[in-house]
Amino acid sequence: MVTLSSRNHVTGSPAAETPVLPTRALVWVIASFALLLVPQWDRLPVWLIASCVALAGWRWLAQSGRVRLPGKWLRSAIMLGVIAVYVATVRGRFTVDTAASFFVLAVGLKWLETRSTRDFYVLFFILVYLATVNFLFHQEIYWTVLNLLAVGSLLVGLQVLNAPDLPESMRSGWSRLGMMLLKTLPIVALLFVFFPRVAPLWSVPLVSGEARSGISDTMRPGDISSLAQSSERAFRATFGGELPAYRDRYWRGLILDYLDGETWRQGQGEPFRRPGRVSVDGGVGDLTSGQYDVLMEPTDKRWAFVLEDSVAVSNNVVPTDEGLFRFRRPADTTVRYRMELKGGGQGNAVGEDPRVLRRYLQLPRSGNPRAQALAEDLRTNNPDPGAMIEALMSRFRQQGYYYTLRPPAMPEDGIDALLFDEKRGFCAHYAGATTFLLRAAGIPARVVVGYQGGDPGAGDQYLVVRQYDAHAWVEAWLDGEGWVRVDPTAAIAPDRIESGLRDAVAEEGSFLENDWASPQRYGNMAVLQWASLQLDRINYQWQRWVVGYQGQSQMDLMSRLPGGLGLKELGYATAGIVGFALLVAGGFSTWQMRRSTRRDPVARLIGRWHRLCERAGVPVRYGETPTQLADRVGSARPGAAGTARAFARMVNKHYYDSEPEEDQRQSREKMRRLLITMRKQMSRDTTPSRETATRRVTG
Amino acid sequence: MFQALRSRWRRWVNLRIPRADKQVLSQRNIFILPTGAGVVFGILLLVMLITGINYQNSLIYLLTFLLGAILVAAMHQTHRNLAGLELTLVQAGEGFAGDRIPFRFRAVSGKHDAVAISLSCDDCTLSQQHVPAGQTGDLVLSVASVERGYFRPDRVRVETRFPFGLLKAWSWVRPVSFGIAYPRPVAAPDATSTVSDGEDQETSRSVEGNDHADMRPWREGDLAQRVLWKRYARTGQMVIADWEGEQGSPHWIDYQAFPGVDQELRISYLTALVLDRSRSGTPFGLNLPGQVIDPDAGPAHVSRCLKSLAVFGLEKPRDDSQSAFGTRSRATGSTVVGEGVRW
Repeated sequence: MVTLSSRNHVTGSPAAETPVLPTRALVWVIASFALLLVPQWDRLPVWLIASCVALAGWRWLAQSGRVRLPGKWLRSAIMLGVIAVYVATVRGRFTVDTAASFFVLAVGLKWLETRSTRDFYVLFFILVYLATVNFLFHQEIYWTVLNLLAVGSLLVGLQVLNAPDLPESMRSGWSRLGMMLLKTLPIVALLFVFFPRVAPLWSVPLVSGEARSGISDTMRPGDISSLAQSSERAFRATFGGELPAYRDRYWRGLILDYLDGETWRQGQGEPFRRPGRVSVDGGVGDLTSGQYDVLMEPTDKRWAFVLEDSVAVSNNVVPTDEGLFRFRRPADTTVRYRMELKGGGQGNAVGEDPRVLRRYLQLPRSGNPRAQALAEDLRTNNPDPGAMIEALMSRFRQQGYYYTLRPPAMPEDGIDALLFDEKRGFCAHYAGATTFLLRAAGIPARVVVGYQGGDPGAGDQYLVVRQYDAHAWVEAWLDGEGWVRVDPTAAIAPDRIESGLRDAVAEEGSFLENDWASPQRYGNMAVLQWASLQLDRINYQWQRWVVGYQGQSQMDLMSRLPGGLGLKELGYATAGIVGFALLVAGGFSTWQMRRSTRRDPVARLIGRWHRLCERAGVPVRYGETPTQLADRVGSARPGAAGTARAFARMVNKHYYDSEPEEDQRQSREKMRRLLITMRKQMSRDTTPSRETATRRVTG
Repeated sequence: MFQALRSRWRRWVNLRIPRADKQVLSQRNIFILPTGAGVVFGILLLVMLITGINYQNSLIYLLTFLLGAILVAAMHQTHRNLAGLELTLVQAGEGFAGDRIPFRFRAVSGKHDAVAISLSCDDCTLSQQHVPAGQTGDLVLSVASVERGYFRPDRVRVETRFPFGLLKAWSWVRPVSFGIAYPRPVAAPDATSTVSDGEDQETSRSVEGNDHADMRPWREGDLAQRVLWKRYARTGQMVIADWEGEQGSPHWIDYQAFPGVDQELRISYLTALVLDRSRSGTPFGLNLPGQVIDPDAGPAHVSRCLKSLAVFGLEKPRDDSQSAFGTRSRATGSTVVGEGVRW
């Protein structure tokens, strides 16, 4: 036996083996894989998706017997090839993103090796973890549903794997899973609320190292106008008091103070800091007047966007020297932070070090001669810096400058071309040009990049700021006043500042002209707007209360409950919940079990018959068939013989014939009637039976 | 140490599961543990929880709790697959030693579906079957036998891993009834077969037989055919003619026909002879020490003879004895079975 099997193993070439996994189980796993890839589609490289599809397709064809799975050598070659491409593209970055790509890759390669049940489980585990990782990238409610659906299909696939020939496997699989979920939902909810949300145990890699769409730390004249074509959400803000007026919604993000040819950069690079532990504690409790919460989409940058004159309330943001705020850990997932408007006095009016101010006067050595001349001209006419800025603004207002999303190309001496020839540009053009002019005139100035505006969400509860609200403006240093905001766009296109980009470019018709799918594009369709806002509201509440239920918010909730539970008590509570749930489940199944054994109606009828027989002096023997018992009853009580045999026949028929449900009920009724007759018959000829009984005892 | 623990565990299990042909599965006798995949899944849940903690991600917590709860629900479900199931050994099979012998179990499910039930013993498995709630199903387990005699698997494992294969619930049935493993037939050598074979030797038999006739009075247990009825009619005495040549009678298959041959081999020869006769349909009797079966023909007779040969010289084991009989687990090491004649 042993030798035989080992010989089999040697001779059977692995390539020739036919896949033994049930097809339908495989379908569910492939479906789940496809679902899990959806949230990743925008991040995964095309070659990876293509090879995954090809490999899954190969597996599928092999399942239907049309092609063979590759042999060992070909498989190794494919594996090495794909992994080599992967390593080449990753280039040593280690983030969750690259890890997730690796999982996807592993699943793709595993398709070629999925022959046994064991392989199937390996796939199951990888895919479950892939679903977990997906939650790091997307937390919106629809992605959550999608992920859970994918995990559900995996579990259905497992059911099919474990009972391949069960009829109606799909329907029963889902309904069984649904029942399990329903039964356990209360426990899951309790655990979710009470499981102690401890602080991160150690610092983990960033979720993503890839650049995302959004504001970047360099600004070329065309940059922000391309961002203006995107209606992706940048962040949402909830205010404790009144919403600030539209024209005051300047969300400062970062400062660009170094002009390098045509490109504005940060003069001093951000100091390198190791990414800290994840901190999602963005403040708890109700917002007081003047406070606001920002729920920011992941940017993978440290920049926090805050209104002017704000101070940090939550401690996951720290202020910088330039009056900006930075996260302790790059915003690799959705992050919430809380700020407070200080109102009035500028914190940075105290005066900057002249050496620092010199940084804000930097200009390239040459280029844009006409702009240089204009700056000197303005400066000589207006010795006061404030008056000079005012003169520049009125020049923008009066000399026919246009605000456009379709600026012409201005390849050489762009600022000159903008100011004197084309006079058409976007906020980035004007901000850059204004800073150039101010610096050339000896006024320290810097470009500020961030967002301006934000539309109210459903119910006016919060502001939604989108990528097309990205904006660039200027801050100039005035002695005695500090840094003062100068926005040339406000002079050229007041609509942009008063009511947003849509109105500012209404005439041009260029608002989101390349983004057909965005509901924001169709601002005039009320239904669409309403639906989109409602969806956003649901997501916002989901983000705040479910996704954002962590650490401090749990403690906040617990402090409102009587008893004031701490982390330790929560741990006990969790253990209690789990123990209690197990106890209830065990008790329930015992009770159900008892009931089910008591519930078999025919068994109950047989019990009644047995008692009847015992009373009539015919003790039931162990292991006796109903017919044997009936025979004995017949000999002891001839009067009841026929009835007893009929009853025994019915019992046999019930247990050994397959009867339809309808007939079963009828025959139970019949058995019941037989029992009644039997009792009458037995009581009728009581005397002889007693005789037999006594005779047997004595004999 | 390990061995001792093992046998202790086994004793404990045997206490909980008395030997019976009928076994109703309930909390008392169902065991449930995670499978290998289940253990890995547990570790995966832990890794997921740590991921959730380190990234402070509520949805990962949620997924972890959901899957954990489903694991517990699956435990319930897996247990329920077996709970209430009633397994009865309805037919202990018969077959030749070395072959697989069928044991037929009838499964009656309780209130819930019994999904993906599989039976197995030491070296036999029956792939999974389903018994919907309130219905019955027959499960036939083919158990490999090694040697002739009474034969039963010591315990049959009933197992299910449904729904997810992350947990296995199992119990045992310890049947009382025995199957019978017939001896492996081995073609009898020619030397003796010339004596015992062939209708055409009828005359020579009688001649030879008469030569060595040995008269003796009738004793209890002697066959009616052997009484010399003619003599009885004459004298009124029942006399038996004990022909030596009777051993070679075509009607009789005799244990004594192979003097000096090892008992097991002899039994195998006799089995082959029984099968020969049953194939040709001629009537025959079987003469074993201490047991004589009158000549007859037909399948019932053949089966009776084979059974007698199977248990010849063996005692029926006591019900509570713990070892398996005739299964491979009993045979030590070698699994070689004589090259017998298959019928």
